Amino acid sequence: MKILIEREPLMASIQNVMKAISSKTTIPILSGIKLEANDQGVKLTGSNSDITIESIIPKEEDGVINIHEIIPGQIVVQAKFLPEIIKKLPNNQVEIDVDDDLNLKIKSGHAEFKLNGQDAEEYPQLPMLQTENSFDLQIDLLKMLIRQTNFAVSVSETRPILTGVHLKLEENLLELVATDSHRLASRKISMNDAEELFFNNVVIPGKSLSELNKILDETQDTIQISVTDNQILFRTKNVYFLSRLLDGNYPETSRLIPNQSKTVVKVNSKELIESIDRASLLAKDNRNNIVKLVTKGQNTLQITSNSPEIGHVEETLETDSIDGEELKISFNAKYMIDALRAIDSDKVSINFTGAMRPFVIRPEEDDEQILQLITPVRTY
Amino acid sequence: MSKKGRIIYHVDMNSFYASVEMAYRPELKGKPVAIAGNPEERRGIVVTSSYEARAKGVKTTMPLWQAYSHCPSLIVLKPNFDRYREASRHMFSILSEITPYVQPVSIDEGYMDVTDYVNEENPIQVAENIQKRILNELDLPCSIGIAPNKFLAKMASDMKKPMGITVLRKREIKHKLWILPIEEMYGVGEKTADKLKKIDIETIGDLATKDVLTLKNLLGINGERLHQRANGIDDRPVDPDAVHEFKSIGNSTTLPYDMTNQTEIFKVLNQLSEKVAARMERKDVVAENIQLMIRYYDRKTITRSKQLNEFIETKDEISNIAKRLFQQHWNEDPVRLLGVTAQHLTPREEMAKQLDLFNYEKEAEKEELYVAMDQIKEKYGKDAFIKLKDTKAKMSTSFQKDFLSEFRENKKGKS
Repeated sequence: MKILIEREPLMASIQNVMKAISSKTTIPILSGIKLEANDQGVKLTGSNSDITIESIIPKEEDGVINIHEIIPGQIVVQAKFLPEIIKKLPNNQVEIDVDDDLNLKIKSGHAEFKLNGQDAEEYPQLPMLQTENSFDLQIDLLKMLIRQTNFAVSVSETRPILTGVHLKLEENLLELVATDSHRLASRKISMNDAEELFFNNVVIPGKSLSELNKILDETQDTIQISVTDNQILFRTKNVYFLSRLLDGNYPETSRLIPNQSKTVVKVNSKELIESIDRASLLAKDNRNNIVKLVTKGQNTLQITSNSPEIGHVEETLETDSIDGEELKISFNAKYMIDALRAIDSDKVSINFTGAMRPFVIRPEEDDEQILQLITPVRTY
Repeated sequence: MSKKGRIIYHVDMNSFYASVEMAYRPELKGKPVAIAGNPEERRGIVVTSSYEARAKGVKTTMPLWQAYSHCPSLIVLKPNFDRYREASRHMFSILSEITPYVQPVSIDEGYMDVTDYVNEENPIQVAENIQKRILNELDLPCSIGIAPNKFLAKMASDMKKPMGITVLRKREIKHKLWILPIEEMYGVGEKTADKLKKIDIETIGDLATKDVLTLKNLLGINGERLHQRANGIDDRPVDPDAVHEFKSIGNSTTLPYDMTNQTEIFKVLNQLSEKVAARMERKDVVAENIQLMIRYYDRKTITRSKQLNEFIETKDEISNIAKRLFQQHWNEDPVRLLGVTAQHLTPREEMAKQLDLFNYEKEAEKEELYVAMDQIKEKYGKDAFIKLKDTKAKMSTSFQKDFLSEFRENKKGKS
């Protein structure tokens, strides 16, 4: 095998597949990157048992030549040193040469590295995904869906199923839900051409989605999503991202969302974030990062936080409107800030149903597509 | 606070429990009276005794059978903690009328800093008035030590009992303090005294004149501290809030016989957990860590603890963890003593519970009640509600420490 390749696309591909490579793998060969060269281009593969990423560098793309010379072949090379080596090479072109004894030579300008390779035949065969369950999304939309939900997955393994994002598609409506059992993030989008598609209880590990999000560029290109019983594949032109799905039944979450409210607050989102952020300066030290919100007259909210050993902070915030019953409620400031940032709307509407019940935050333009739910903290 | 010329009192109630009993039952006055835990069992030991009993050789911590052999006419009473608590509360409220700087150190003794509160009056006169008031209003004797710092005040109150008032000036320490045997020094326990005697320190004066380095090598930082105290130096302020700095609540018990039967042992753990839970409730705290102590027949002792992710407070929660720890760590040897301690305590008012989406309903059901309680608290103050408590369950020797937090709570309520 021999290739003469542009350094930049090679570097980008290496960084993509590195997202799947874990230094703590139990299968030694998975600590390496597989390089495969054929007449069309070069494919890199990285994998741990949960995620597999393939990144393709086409020989030529949009009139730009990536690879100048190809002699087909394949090799597995230790991933640990490769990114740094490629990054620091002196020239913009890199020559990679593999001999019959699995020795890898990397040449660029006057620099030459010799690395020991491993036989690519020993690299596990990736499962071929056979499914009819495929649909397309725009990449920037997918990235937004991930950003708006994935932060709410559980980081604790007490209920493993909650460490993933639940994906559901029915009647042309795609819904993503994540909850750590203290807060819940939900985002729906309408699909145009998925009438025949239907699936439920697809739970993607939160970690997979955050890696996927890092690899994907903010573009309007489409990504194809294919779902099977235990795996999900995201496929763009040059990237295959395969993730294991979580086992188990995702809890029914629609019943958790209150359908009535006793107090409705409409408020500028940015002002609320800033105010909560200030209040939480003192609250960070206490265990639940608690801030307290109290409705006052003249459409104002009082936001306070108290850390007995540090001090007290109090501020008032003017809202657009407060309707319904008076309310005093305490909650984790971080949950509120996460939720408001995810909604990313100028004005939000917060619907409370009492100090001990979860409250719902939505964008004020009555848009049913995104919803953030937060359970309060009970103080004594 | 200027260190020069402080006036510190140490007020020490004389044989407090016995005196309270005598105040309730005047016919006991002049008789040898002892208060003891459980007269039937081997842990039945004298908690305190009247001066009449002491005169016959009865001593605190003496087993009952031994006390009887010294004094066959001894009247042994079970403790009435509620009475003692009431008397103590009254006593401290008298002290608090003189100065806000009152630091209780146990149920029957406390320090006062009266530097800025005696005005023109003679400090001895003020002390006499306190002593008289406690005697008149409570029928209880006390001794008061007056000195420029806490240590000397404490030593002074010990010098004349009962009903003494002793002034210990710094210039007097050579002939009043230094002549005392080392084991009478406050802060010197049995073990420390033994160590000091090995280097020929027999009196407080020997300690005061020994070079600091030797003491430091022998006792660490405490050696230096004791050396200072012996020289009449003690900078500690009288801190009314110091009582609140508790870090754990534990109860232990020596078993009536060495046990190997897990069912019986679990019963003991249940009892201990109940006591711990009751004391936690009294202090209004919750715990995040439970420690179990096992002492075996050969006195080998282990402690094992479990860090929790949540707050616990009930008897069942505590005993479940204690039992699990026991099962994990018991080596099946006979057990002589068991202890259960709640650690990492948080005052309930600082505690908060993150509700769970999947089961918040349980809490939410009571929401109206909580809202109503909050409103009433806002209107009438924090003490509008008191938890109904089973006062019978509160008897324990660790009780002394607990009343301290109550003292602070009461004070907070008033201010």
